[in-house]
Amino acid sequence: MVSNSSSEAELKKVTWELASYKIELHKTTGFLQCILQNATDLIFATDAEGLLISFSKGGEKVLGYSWEEVVGRPIKALAKDPESFEPVMVSCQEEGCALVLDVPFQHKDGKTVYCNASLMDLTNREGQRIGTVAICQDITRWKRLQEDLIQVDRLAEIGRIAAGVAHEINNPVAVIREASGWAAEVIGDAEGLSPDDRQELENVIKQIKAQTGRCRDITHKLLTFVRGSVPTKSEFDVHELLEETIGLLKPELKHSGIEIDLNFAEGPLSVNSNPKLLEQVFVNCLANAIHAVIEKGGDNGRIEIRTVNNNSEVEISVADNGVGIPKEDQGKIFDLFYTTKPPGKGTGLGLPICQNILRQLGGDIYFESEVGVGTTFTVRISVS
Amino acid sequence: MSDQQHIRVLLVDDEENLLEYLSKRLLKKGFAVKATFSGEQAVEVAQHEPYDVAVVDLKMPGIDGVETQKRLRQIQPFLQCIVLTGHGSVESALESGQQEAFEYLLKPVDYDKLLVAISEAYKRKVDLQTAKFREEVEKVQMAGMGPRGIRKAIRELEKIYGIE
Ligand SMILES: Nc1ncnc2c1ncn2[C@@H]1O[C@H](COP(=O)(O)OP(=O)(O)OP(=O)(O)O)[C@@H](O)[C@H]1O
Ligand SMILES: [Mg+2]
Repeated sequence: MVSNSSSEAELKKVTWELASYKIELHKTTGFLQCILQNATDLIFATDAEGLLISFSKGGEKVLGYSWEEVVGRPIKALAKDPESFEPVMVSCQEEGCALVLDVPFQHKDGKTVYCNASLMDLTNREGQRIGTVAICQDITRWKRLQEDLIQVDRLAEIGRIAAGVAHEINNPVAVIREASGWAAEVIGDAEGLSPDDRQELENVIKQIKAQTGRCRDITHKLLTFVRGSVPTKSEFDVHELLEETIGLLKPELKHSGIEIDLNFAEGPLSVNSNPKLLEQVFVNCLANAIHAVIEKGGDNGRIEIRTVNNNSEVEISVADNGVGIPKEDQGKIFDLFYTTKPPGKGTGLGLPICQNILRQLGGDIYFESEVGVGTTFTVRISVS
Repeated sequence: MSDQQHIRVLLVDDEENLLEYLSKRLLKKGFAVKATFSGEQAVEVAQHEPYDVAVVDLKMPGIDGVETQKRLRQIQPFLQCIVLTGHGSVESALESGQQEAFEYLLKPVDYDKLLVAISEAYKRKVDLQTAKFREEVEKVQMAGMGPRGIRKAIRELEKIYGIE
């Protein structure tokens, strides 16, 4: 029977084909499983109702849920805003092709996780919707970075405005200064003033001068802070610069009874940097240390300046045995305008300026402090 | 400082109120002061009147301080200029190679510092001028003119360099 044997052959062929399909299917499933198990992205599939039927290992990492916890739950429940997730699913159905967009999900611990998701509708051969698959990449860090950049941009803008204001304020302040200077001379020459009135007027003039000086101090510091130009560099000896800086602060140190200990590394400490800017850093650190020691009172005030040569970089530390900085304030001291000094004594711009300068020159500044024991500020600068 | 009587100061700033008080104070100190309110005006004034020291604001409408300073020195080569700058512009002015100014001072300027700067600038002007005068006199003497010619030439030079 010819037909019989041919149909038998047919059957064999089909069976064989089926077997190979099965192997193929097995391979594909294994392949897909492998992807689902190993991908770091969140990959999920839902049924037509939007209930989760598959959830990758990466998804467990990204959102913090295990597969058992989420299977059968609606996918929109994982979105940060379930209501706005609905239209996404709908437009995905209408689109007919992959839909790529940023979706905020919510981590098990409540944090927002931003994902770049590509969603695809799944249909069967009859064209019926049977569900959705999606591959979502966690872009939270990237998003944060972007926000930080915007923040930095905004800060730079505020800086520019502040600089503009400071510049403009300088002019009227200068006029007030000159006008009061002239008034002082007129008062000096005036006849018929009672000694009391003269004294009173002189005090007023002195006050105007002091206060315009204060304005000038603030505007200058503010303008230093926002100055954008790249600092020039030259070769110099840090030890020499430190000695000069201490010389500058002689008036503050006089009568304070503070002992200054120099603990310098062997020989000159040569660096290629900007001496003027570094001087500003040292002046501020030293002035802060002197203030802290005086505030503590007593007569064993001591400031130690130590330098360490680490070949590619040098460390300069200023250690005082002053009042110290309370733990709860330690996070604030680099903030613009943060100061605990009385009005007129501090602007709260010293440390932010130092930080800015070191950022520009390649280096950093950090500190350790204990209330009642003292504070050590350390400046690190690269040699070249 | 009695020689302040001789110092002729040219002030250039668009802030008129500032110049009013500044010139009054300098006048009282014994300086000869001329206040001008723009670079153009200063240049114009300098065409007719010699000065020793100019105090020039960097930021002005019209020609700015650096340019004013340059033009003033073209007219009066020994004139020393003190440029008043806002913050940050000191570096930019220096870095752009405009180092001809005698000194840059930050605004608002400290009056005592300004006085010191003016007298130092004056000293520098006199030194430069005298040195140049000597040089020229030497040249005249080397030129092999007769005694009469020499005397005449020197008198000429004295006039040019303002030496009595
Ligand atoms: N060595 C120190 N010991 C104790 N407190 C310190 C020390 N250095 C800084 N601080 C604290 O940090 C604050 C901020 O310091 P910063 O130098 O920025 O501003 P300031 O010294 O108050 O004012 P400015 O430096 O602008 O005159 C100080 O007011 C002080 O409270
Ligand atoms: Mg300070």
